[in-house]
Amino acid sequence: MSQIIRRKAASGLVKIGRVIVLALRNAAGDPVRSWLIAICAFVIAGFAVSTAIVVRGGQDSLRLAASRLGADVVVVPRGAATEVDGALLMGTVSRRWMPRSDLARIAAVKGVAVASPQIYLESLSHASCCAVSHMFIVAFDPRTDFTVEPWLRRQLGGTLGLQQAVGGSQVTVPVNHNVMLYGYTMWLRGKLEPTGTNLDQSLFITLPTAYAMARSSSTTAVKPLVIPKDRVSSVMVKVAPGSDPAAVAAAITRSVPGVNAVMRPQMFAAYRTQIAGLLHVMLVVLALLLALALVALVLLLSMAAHERRRELGVLRALGASRGVVVVALLAEALVVACAGGLAGVAVAGFGVSLLHTPIAAHLGIPFVYPSGGALAAQVAAGLGLALVAVGVAAAIPALRASGEEPAVAMRE
Amino acid sequence: MSDAGPTDAGSSDTAMSAPKVNDCRLMVSLRGVSKVYEAPRSLPVVALRDVDLDVAAGEFVVVTGRSAAGKTTLLNVIAGLSRPSAGVVLVDGTDLWGLSDRRRSRLRNADMGFVFQFPSLLSSLTVLQNVLLPLSLGPAGWPEGQRVDEEPPGGHGGDGGPSARDRAEKLLELVGLGSAARSYPRRLSAGQQQRVVIARALINHPRLLLADEPTSNLDEETEAEIMELLGRVHDETGATIVLVTHAADLVRRGTRHLAMADGRLRPAVGLARG
Repeated sequence: MSQIIRRKAASGLVKIGRVIVLALRNAAGDPVRSWLIAICAFVIAGFAVSTAIVVRGGQDSLRLAASRLGADVVVVPRGAATEVDGALLMGTVSRRWMPRSDLARIAAVKGVAVASPQIYLESLSHASCCAVSHMFIVAFDPRTDFTVEPWLRRQLGGTLGLQQAVGGSQVTVPVNHNVMLYGYTMWLRGKLEPTGTNLDQSLFITLPTAYAMARSSSTTAVKPLVIPKDRVSSVMVKVAPGSDPAAVAAAITRSVPGVNAVMRPQMFAAYRTQIAGLLHVMLVVLALLLALALVALVLLLSMAAHERRRELGVLRALGASRGVVVVALLAEALVVACAGGLAGVAVAGFGVSLLHTPIAAHLGIPFVYPSGGALAAQVAAGLGLALVAVGVAAAIPALRASGEEPAVAMRE
Repeated sequence: MSDAGPTDAGSSDTAMSAPKVNDCRLMVSLRGVSKVYEAPRSLPVVALRDVDLDVAAGEFVVVTGRSAAGKTTLLNVIAGLSRPSAGVVLVDGTDLWGLSDRRRSRLRNADMGFVFQFPSLLSSLTVLQNVLLPLSLGPAGWPEGQRVDEEPPGGHGGDGGPSARDRAEKLLELVGLGSAARSYPRRLSAGQQQRVVIARALINHPRLLLADEPTSNLDEETEAEIMELLGRVHDETGATIVLVTHAADLVRRGTRHLAMADGRLRPAVGLARG
């Protein structure tokens, strides 16, 4: 019994293989039609995959950045939330400051476990240290910081000292580990993990190092680094266990004048809105592309099936059932679509990877390139979408052709 | 009602003998078959009118008639390629239109071979691949190189015989095209293509060979060669052959001659191989 089942299964596989071989031969026999199908699949799959990589990468990037900051609540000068987001995500440094004295008032709010200040700076234009035009610099307080410090302790076995720094994942570490900013030399101790945001191209230093660099710059730099006295850019807040971050954020905003407290899920709100808008536009474009491709494919494949009516009639006469004719026509379209779709996802994947930085700059959103598993899922989804589109378009003429009486088909 | 059966043929056509009719089994039986083509905005066309026909196993029936007499429709109805508007079509005792499309296709694949009047080779396949095509459409989907019995159970494959490819090559040699196996059809003349079609029709050991004007586009010499070939096939395989043609001089090749006019079938005088 099992032998019979095995033989039947083997015979079924052989038949499918034969249909695919026949499909390939037929596809090769009409290169213009095959190219058009392949191009449709290429565009659909490529666009879908690049959309998925950018949009999903943007969302992942925001999540990673928020996670990297590690704060439950970020306190910024009132009206400067978007500027601070921009500083952290895109490296557009914030010019808005808040009084350092706010730190104590924030720390005193009920439910606040830790409040740690940060100062955002940037290097001089095209400094010798850096590949980017302006290196973004985050200065933190090593006594209270809970965003970079845990990583430093875990990876480097201790905190950063004076004249020491760590870089984002894309910061190049010189052979001698020395970087110079404003004529001030620092020892670059290592690199953080990637986030897909500007944090990957930023330097992290302590507040004492920042102030030392500012003092030194008056004599060593072309243009001195100015840090306003008793001012900070933002305050990172860790909420005490059991406290509600929303309530704490509201309490900070209420009790400390001139600041806004933003919860982690609401951070980067402008960028989230931008990504959602981008997704919306991309989906509309994708839907239009799909509709156009479907119409073109249905027309193309209907014409092809019509031209081949006699051939299909002959196949039916030779013993092909309706199902075999449908499978043959579908296989023919899908084999070509598979090739076009694979090319599309490959080009999209490599293209987005190569043009990662200009795309992020052009769209104004950060994004992190997906990991292997996520990329595989996006590629499968993009390819699947192209195959479904071509399959649906091919099914219409295939069903129509297979339903035609063979004698009528052969009469043409 | 037009009625044409082996008994009638034997009695009415003096020269008609059927040497290959070695039993009384009916390979084809049509009862009251009509076919009307209906099209929107035009009058219905009656292609077959109440046709009765019996063809015994092993017969070589030649059906003649003028153009549009209904000859091709008759073959299509026998083959299950066209559903009759009325009547019953039995092939080897099986009601064709009582079967599902899949089973009807399988029966066509297993028991029938076709020679069409138009070029019917797939241009994307080589001559050899064209000959093997019915095998790949069959239930077993024999691949090239798999072994197929010469006389398999139920007319199909098994182990121990020559491979399908060997058989296809032998058939191509039989039709005089052994050296063209790897050529594409476009490189062959019309007569050579028709020979390949005959080889393809024989690859599955068909018990019923249906030929629709197989020599209509050929010169006289090639026509004679093709008819000679079909005669040999009939003699050597014992297959039942139904051939339709408008060329009355081809009737001598058959064992029974029927004439068709205006969708009606009747025994005709004058035949055939004795």
